[in-house]
Amino acid sequence: MSKSTTTVMQARDIQKMSVGQKIVRVLSKTGTYAFLLIMALIVLFPFYWMIISSLKTLAEYRQAIPTFWPRQIMWGNYAEAFTTANLGDLFMNTLYVGLVSTVLSLVITVLSAFAFARLEFKGKETLFGALLATMMIPGELFTITNYITINELGWMHTFTALIVPFLVSVFYIYLLRQNFMQIPNELYLAAKVDGTSDIKYLWKVMIPLALPTLISVTILKMMGAWNSYIWPKLVANDDAHQMITNGLRNAFTDTSGQANYPVQMAAVAIVSAPLFLVFLCLRKYIMSGVSRSGIKG
Amino acid sequence: MRKKILALVMAFAMLLSMLSLAGCQSNNSKNAFVVPEEGFNPDEQVSITFTHTMGAKLQGVLDTYIEEFNKIYPNIEITHQSAGGWSDINGQINTEIAGGNQPNIAYCYPDHVAMYNIAKSVVTLDNLIASEQVVPGTNEVLGLTAEQKDDFIKSYYDEGIVYGDDLMYTMPLNKSTEVLYYDKTFFEKNGLKVPTTWDELWDTCDKILKIDPNCYPLGYDAEDNWFITLCEQMKTGFTSAENGGEYLFNNDANKAFVKELREYYQKGYFTTQELYGSYTSNLFVETTDTRCYMCVGSSGGASYQMSNNDTTDGSFAFEVGVAPIPQYDANNRKTISQGPSLCILKGSKTTDQQVLASWLFVKFLCTNVDFQAEFSMASGYMPVLKSVTENEAYAAWLAKGNGYEYLVAKCVQVGIDGRDDYFVSPAFNGSSKAREQAGALLLKCLSGETPNGVDALINESFQEAIDECEY
Amino acid sequence: MVDNKQQWKAWLYLAPACILLLVFTVWPIFNTLRMAFLNGYGNMAAIGGATFEFGIENFVKVIEYKEFLQCLQNTAILCVATVPISTILALLIAVALNSIKPLQKTLQTIFFLPYVTNSIAIGMVFAAMFNIVGLKQGSAMADTWGIINNVIQFFGGEPVNWLNAGSTYVSNMVVMVIYIVWNALPFKILILLGGLQSINKQYYDAAKVDGTPKARVLTKITIPLLSPMLAYVVITGFIGGFKEYSSIIGIFGDKMGPADDAGRLNTMVGFVYDALERDRQGRASAAALILFAIILAVTLFNNNVIKKHVHY
Repeated sequence: MSKSTTTVMQARDIQKMSVGQKIVRVLSKTGTYAFLLIMALIVLFPFYWMIISSLKTLAEYRQAIPTFWPRQIMWGNYAEAFTTANLGDLFMNTLYVGLVSTVLSLVITVLSAFAFARLEFKGKETLFGALLATMMIPGELFTITNYITINELGWMHTFTALIVPFLVSVFYIYLLRQNFMQIPNELYLAAKVDGTSDIKYLWKVMIPLALPTLISVTILKMMGAWNSYIWPKLVANDDAHQMITNGLRNAFTDTSGQANYPVQMAAVAIVSAPLFLVFLCLRKYIMSGVSRSGIKG
Repeated sequence: MRKKILALVMAFAMLLSMLSLAGCQSNNSKNAFVVPEEGFNPDEQVSITFTHTMGAKLQGVLDTYIEEFNKIYPNIEITHQSAGGWSDINGQINTEIAGGNQPNIAYCYPDHVAMYNIAKSVVTLDNLIASEQVVPGTNEVLGLTAEQKDDFIKSYYDEGIVYGDDLMYTMPLNKSTEVLYYDKTFFEKNGLKVPTTWDELWDTCDKILKIDPNCYPLGYDAEDNWFITLCEQMKTGFTSAENGGEYLFNNDANKAFVKELREYYQKGYFTTQELYGSYTSNLFVETTDTRCYMCVGSSGGASYQMSNNDTTDGSFAFEVGVAPIPQYDANNRKTISQGPSLCILKGSKTTDQQVLASWLFVKFLCTNVDFQAEFSMASGYMPVLKSVTENEAYAAWLAKGNGYEYLVAKCVQVGIDGRDDYFVSPAFNGSSKAREQAGALLLKCLSGETPNGVDALINESFQEAIDECEY
Repeated sequence: MVDNKQQWKAWLYLAPACILLLVFTVWPIFNTLRMAFLNGYGNMAAIGGATFEFGIENFVKVIEYKEFLQCLQNTAILCVATVPISTILALLIAVALNSIKPLQKTLQTIFFLPYVTNSIAIGMVFAAMFNIVGLKQGSAMADTWGIINNVIQFFGGEPVNWLNAGSTYVSNMVVMVIYIVWNALPFKILILLGGLQSINKQYYDAAKVDGTPKARVLTKITIPLLSPMLAYVVITGFIGGFKEYSSIIGIFGDKMGPADDAGRLNTMVGFVYDALERDRQGRASAAALILFAIILAVTLFNNNVIKKHVHY
């Protein structure tokens, strides 16, 4: 169906609508907006809190009765965040780890999800079930064993130690497999008949169709690098490899070892800003959907 | 065949018992570190690591003194890193011990050391302290001289031996304690005396409540410290590190004082951080709403007890006084000690030279008067040496403590004055659980519902806490 | 009929994932199993030279724990309450977001903001919203009731003690459910929005031509076609819910309960953490395996239900 005929049909629909239908339509639109706006406010609140906290003095921040607007706006927190922590290095380290692990992780995830969604092999169900089962054990129990493994491999204080252990996420393999399974099998079989290679089919058909999900995975993976704290502290907390959260948490503590949260928040806001811009650019790929021409549902 | 195995096992068992006997016969048990006869080698390059929780400012002080240290020992290379906060550092080091990558020196609380010690990863310091070897290239002995030992505030120094085996595991670096902050302006205006005993304190609370009915006379920040301190002051028993750890707090004397505290709480004499819902220091600095006029908090947190200076002329709303916490028995003065000590860790990869180098650095930090003074001024912690007060810059800094802008200095002064009162509770695997349960138990007894009477609530709470500890 | 070429190809594609999983997941799990069956195993003690016997004492100890049932109950309640609520809310938001034209971009941007919000800030906001400061014993006076209670009072209701000393189990649970749902929303919205894009627009066009009502479009087209993603969100939600722990720390702190009843809200993973802190890896592992068995059973059940309703 071409776009123009759809539009014509829509126009005809609207003409056919009665006044009653129009009222219902307006009401439902208003309802939708009201619902979205309220939810948006709720979701937005912590972000707002982060920003105002970053502008408070430590004393005001610790007050029993929280203030919704800083009594005294402390731009100095941002200046302190810039000068105290080595933000530039921390940012580059985190970006490097984030990018490399996202790219490698996407490749591994796509290949595995493809195998689970499209290929037939012995023990597929069992293997997939086993993978799901690994998600069910609290990961904290793995820390010591993995730490020893990294140590034996001689990866301490390397970027490798920050990247490799987390490349495979069953969580994302599962997500992408669900997405791939929605793409009709006929397409794959047709491509096989045409002699198209798997990789080419993946690249030309599956990946474009699963793009929104892949972008979601990218975002989650990047945020993972931004927020990781405990593992990096164990395996690579030296200046050359320190990650952003570690650098921030350690730099802004007061003398008794308590965190100076306002400055920490300012630092977080500074380093999150570029990330946010990237997400804004990626957003349109998630939201715009993909051209479906030539694909039968 | 079976007989042969049996004989072998017997022989092995005998060998083992002989070995352990031999171990016991020597002055130190088999876990003690023995100083190698060849001593420290000043020509060999040694690298050691130091994990702490210092923020940027204190790291600056540390860096300066590492440079000083390297002037004496150029062959010792020290790298240090922050592990974040106190809640992070022991978890990190536990994991590092598992991989054999523990730092050579670590910031520690007694509870942490008890855990590292299960892995036998802590170097005992007795033989190092006693060593009379002269370090080559210098004219100092490896161990501590009699004067150095005497210079330590004894109660801090003794914190190194709370592990139930009479061995020394840690050296004190800088310490903090609990102090009583009070609104001096208010006290003077109303002719109130600063309480020195608990009875006086309750009297004062009663008087304050009559002056300002809408207040909490006292705010106490840390419930667990309160419970432990009272046990110690009244000698009623909290825990013991004997036999791998014993919980002694479930007794009638403790129940009695908890019951008394409940009565005072119901009268509105005090609140705590958890009961109030926020730091009680917030109540203390408050000038218009509900407030408290006395506040027991950490001497390290003095900056949070500073009265608001939002007034237009920039002056403070009231003067803050600092006093030692009230006592139960003037002959058994006890105040809890907090703040970092240093321990030396060893693993299979650690060389004797690294242990010796670590010891030299620990000794340097703990006995260097200039470092102790500067660190104290930068952190608000108390120095662990008596002679620090003779340091000119430090004495000048302390003297400012008379004006109320310098609350930090004033706190340190009170802390130094109370130097003979300090204690830490015994440390073993489970001592941190006991501390946690002490706080929870007190809170429950103070504010819990009493459908079956107060005694039932208190008995039940104590039983639950002890069950949780002993599980 | 499985052809051989596909066999080895599949394994080739899976090889990188499998190798990494073997090293960084299967090997630790094997270790967990080993520790669970060594009586009283402790990692530090093992390094210190202690030896342990094979046995099931760890499991016995876990089940004997007085609060074991309480931990299990808390875990189950949180799971059963939060998964449906957050899934339905996320679905409604995603569908609504997809259906509007003006303001769409702005609203989408707002729903992305949680990803760049520091987690410390999220915990703090909550404390500020529900925490009552200065509640006086035996009186209806407080310094601050918190935003939520202010709203309740605005509508003429009585303020509720949500999480301070003297609060009830039910109100504690309500706070936890709201917090967990709130925390889970952004991720679920992201996944479902992505999933919505994979639905062929032709279905909607056809529905429009037929004049199908909106609610019917949602239940007859959107939900069935989105079912793979919904299944994903539900199953991973349950798995995550059973491992709930950090959110309780976020609200109630290490004491895992209101001031006068520590441990009231403890969960299974909370128990695991506690055991790890006292060098009881054996007990922690045993508890984790018990939890694993429970999650596995629930997931198998979920899978069976879902299989009947998921359309690929």
